[in-house]
Amino acid sequence: MKRFLLAIFALAIAVPAQAQDKLVVSIWGGSWRDLVAETVARKFTAETGVPVEFITGGTIDRLNKEKLAKGNPESDITFTTSHVGWLYANDGLFEALDLSKIPNAGNLADEARISPFHLGAWAYVYTIGYRADLLGNMKFDSWSDLWKPELKGKIAGPDFDPSHIIAVSAILSGSDAAHWEKGQDKLKALKPNFKAFYTNDANSQQLLASGETPVQIVLSMNAYYMIGQGVPITLVIPKEGAVLGVDTVAVMKGSKKADLACKFINALYDPEIQAEIAKLKKGSPAVLNAKIDPEIAKLPGVFTTAAQWKQQINIDARLRAEKTAEWRKWFAENIMN
Amino acid sequence: MIGKSGYRFSEKIMLKQKDGAGWRFNKKPFRSSARPFGPVNPQQPYLRTFAAPAMLCAFGLVAALAAVLQFSLRAYVPGSLDPGGFTLANFSDLLRPLYARVFLDTVMICFLTAVSTLIVGYPLAYALVRSQNAIVKSILLVIVVTPLFLGEVVRTYSWIIVLGNNGFINSLLLNLGIIRQPLQFMFTTFGVVVALVHVTMPVMVIMLAAALSHIDRDYQRAAESLGAGPIRVFLTVTLPLSMPGVVAGVTTAFAWTFSAFATPQLIGGGRVNMISNLVYQLGFASFNFPFAASLCVTGLALTIVVLSMLRLASRRLETIEPH
Repeated sequence: MKRFLLAIFALAIAVPAQAQDKLVVSIWGGSWRDLVAETVARKFTAETGVPVEFITGGTIDRLNKEKLAKGNPESDITFTTSHVGWLYANDGLFEALDLSKIPNAGNLADEARISPFHLGAWAYVYTIGYRADLLGNMKFDSWSDLWKPELKGKIAGPDFDPSHIIAVSAILSGSDAAHWEKGQDKLKALKPNFKAFYTNDANSQQLLASGETPVQIVLSMNAYYMIGQGVPITLVIPKEGAVLGVDTVAVMKGSKKADLACKFINALYDPEIQAEIAKLKKGSPAVLNAKIDPEIAKLPGVFTTAAQWKQQINIDARLRAEKTAEWRKWFAENIMN
Repeated sequence: MIGKSGYRFSEKIMLKQKDGAGWRFNKKPFRSSARPFGPVNPQQPYLRTFAAPAMLCAFGLVAALAAVLQFSLRAYVPGSLDPGGFTLANFSDLLRPLYARVFLDTVMICFLTAVSTLIVGYPLAYALVRSQNAIVKSILLVIVVTPLFLGEVVRTYSWIIVLGNNGFINSLLLNLGIIRQPLQFMFTTFGVVVALVHVTMPVMVIMLAAALSHIDRDYQRAAESLGAGPIRVFLTVTLPLSMPGVVAGVTTAFAWTFSAFATPQLIGGGRVNMISNLVYQLGFASFNFPFAASLCVTGLALTIVVLSMLRLASRRLETIEPH
């Protein structure tokens, strides 16, 4: 009995000690968690001996949880999209980053420096993806090709975020995302060509794979996944550029392991880790010194030079955070219904 | 279930079954004897203790609803998670054509789904209860119950395979030469209702089967012995006596469909929206939680109103007795 009680006592002491010696990372589930676990987390643990634990969930679920836990965060590090990161930052949930503790961040592309609180982890584009086998000889050199009458009832776009096509319409109307109203008429003219709006990546895959919507405004990484699964998708970067997207990383305010968190982020920006991420997800590295496999480097949506980053349509993340609701509302009222 | 004369059918039937020798009707008006939160019943001393967890859950639900109500009365601040001051603007925005239409569409889809589920489910429930063949009964039970073991998303994805342009129905019709172009089922109200009927059917069939199994067969035998054919027996005896089940099934199917999310989201493809889809889009994609909350509150109020109206309208049906 004595031995049993001693064992319980030892366990009671050991469990909290172990809980303190780990870095908790909040990220989307599935392949995103695996991506970070197999690359940066592995390197970080090898270097520091500190294991990484993941909290996974949807973008808004995790945001709400952290808001409720403000000051005593559930995680030390959070991965989220750049504009959602501004919601965290505006609510005081992110710690201001001390870049002197993240020396590898010196190689970040300018467009990946989102705010003093969150930095790009990797990038991708939303661009035109289509089934050439179902569309004959149709080519997409410009975003304006989406407006062709022969594409009536053939296009799908994301229902959760119309910012891409809103920015494109504004640009085609001689304006920009900040003055998006100037593109409203242009976008209304695209309405007949929309057949459906997808809810998530899986829904996008189903619509493209079945040929239900042979043209999509699609996430590049998702398109590459489908291509890997044998769906014959052609991905193009229009002459105006694709719409840049950046997923970001940040340290949670109140984290008791801020220094370890900075080490984790520094490991993320290691050129080899960034090259591995690019290889696994066919996304763009956030740093400019990653040595990318030439076969990966030539893919649309993978950028290896500062000039390539600048050629894309970059909607300011803070503007997106502030305008998303307004854009979504207008899009639902005027385009989706 | 109170009959028009104030007596319960189930009591009548139970008394008849116990009695066996002849008809005997209970003349004692039905009154509930359950008093869970009144003075402690000496025969049920632990009732309060047992009811406490349920009360706690109810309290949590009410608190959550109060939070949603509070959110619905606050202004949306772009780029912030915190709502602004108190306002009624969220509710006045609901009068805009898009939202008014989604409310109407939701009620219409719920109504169509409930009625269609009844039409499809009634024969299935009838066969399930009345079939003498054990194998047939088992097959029917599997057909009815299996969908319950699959998630709504899985069921909906299977309907995408069936209803799509290259799906089962279109492929069959194209191969048979009946159509030249694929018929558009996806992203239409029809497609959404078809998938929702499948999602809702198990609940309807179980409720109808329960009602049908409580009908005393002697009523039908009596009608048959008086010369009524099968159709007349069904229309004048079985159907009226199963009305409580029909009403319960339709009401439940209606309420069940009102909260449908995955099916209209995936089959509707953004073209057919119900209230829950709008709540998701506004709250989870646009971060406009106050407006999403106002939709929730209005949706809840609408559900209560519609179900109350349905209950009032069905009261007469429930009181129908065999002719």
